[in-house]
Amino acid sequence: MKCEEAARLIDPYLDGELDLTACVSMEEHLAGCPACRARLEAQQALISAVRDETPSFKASPFLATRIRASLRAEDSVAKKVSWWADLPITSIYLALGSMLGLIAVAVFLSSSAPSSQLAQEAISDHVRSLQVNHLMDVASTDQHTVKPWFAGKLDYSPQVIDLASSGYPLIGGRLDVLDHRYVAAIIYQRRQHYINLFTWPADKSPLGNKDYEQNNYHVLGWTKNGMNYLAVSELGEKELREFAEMIKNQIVPPME
Amino acid sequence: MVEDPHGQGGDRLARQRFEEVFLPHLDAAYNLARWLLRNDQDAEDCVQDAYLRAYKAFPRFRGGDGKAWFMTIVRNVCYTAIKKLRSHETPEHFDEEIHCAADDGMKQGEFQKKANAESLQKGLDKLPPEFREMVVLHDLEGHSYKEIAAIAGIPIGTVMSRLARARDRLRATIIASSTKENSP
Repeated sequence: MKCEEAARLIDPYLDGELDLTACVSMEEHLAGCPACRARLEAQQALISAVRDETPSFKASPFLATRIRASLRAEDSVAKKVSWWADLPITSIYLALGSMLGLIAVAVFLSSSAPSSQLAQEAISDHVRSLQVNHLMDVASTDQHTVKPWFAGKLDYSPQVIDLASSGYPLIGGRLDVLDHRYVAAIIYQRRQHYINLFTWPADKSPLGNKDYEQNNYHVLGWTKNGMNYLAVSELGEKELREFAEMIKNQIVPPME
Repeated sequence: MVEDPHGQGGDRLARQRFEEVFLPHLDAAYNLARWLLRNDQDAEDCVQDAYLRAYKAFPRFRGGDGKAWFMTIVRNVCYTAIKKLRSHETPEHFDEEIHCAADDGMKQGEFQKKANAESLQKGLDKLPPEFREMVVLHDLEGHSYKEIAAIAGIPIGTVMSRLARARDRLRATIIASSTKENSP
């Protein structure tokens, strides 16, 4: 084997990608050629440096949440499309009339009944947030750090209120997904418990006042100054109510 | 075989199965995307897009190496994004003769000291993406030449020569940058 050929085979040799015959002739050549041995050692040093020292990037836990949400959304979109595509035109007209009636009933019902689906979604967001390393994307007790962190991540700017003096210290913020959209989750602590306060623009679907309870998790919802709020915690209902009242009292109208 | 994966009732199961098979590759996908795009936000967007594409194509996936199949999608999405994002950038010219000549002067121990996380990252970032991905897929993600050939859609011989050249350039860049720092 010539040096030229050996030089070409150094990398696959080190990577264990050479067949037995090539390996043997490579080793024969190396035994008699200090220059190629030096090259091999230099390449070996580089490869171990890359393996041992190069940082690998890890996906943030939020990305998995985002992906799951987008797959879920994809399913509902795909279903809607196929549903329309399968229907002949006349039945669409027929269906439209009865749908309008149904929508009227649904709107009426949803304005009075708590939207338990949203509350359940908020509870599972809360539970997931308590799993390892997922509570906070930005950890800070300073509202002037948490608020700007959301800028650029959301198309609105949530008000971040600190209640440390009242026994509910702000501890950080996180992006989460609720009702098929990104929302701000602001996190507070009460003794060893956590409160997730989700907030997003009410737009056309104001939440109104909502109470919900499931497996010792309490959810309180309200709408104020054009923003929806959902407070979720495993904290007792009385304390969560106290917390919610204090937040409500400090919410100010958005600056124009 | 998955029956009617997007049909009524079946979609939740199909989605669960998809997530079980492919979400474990999230870190690998993100690592490749992050190295190719060199930016958290772009990498996250591409990975999310790749998952969505893979999910739509999943009913047509006929078994085999799921990870390689998925990484191919991740890679394609990343390259499309690179073209869009960096069409205005001119690639850095690399003079192989000059750079690689600087090789000889440096002793082994000296090189190992220079090759730290920072210089390696800088050096890798300077490589063209086709070279950078060889190092990422082989040395960081542990794929074989054959798997990389499948992911990148190139012959195994090309994987071999690109990986070797990528490493040569990387070493040369590390040496060149450290000598620059040392000289007044």
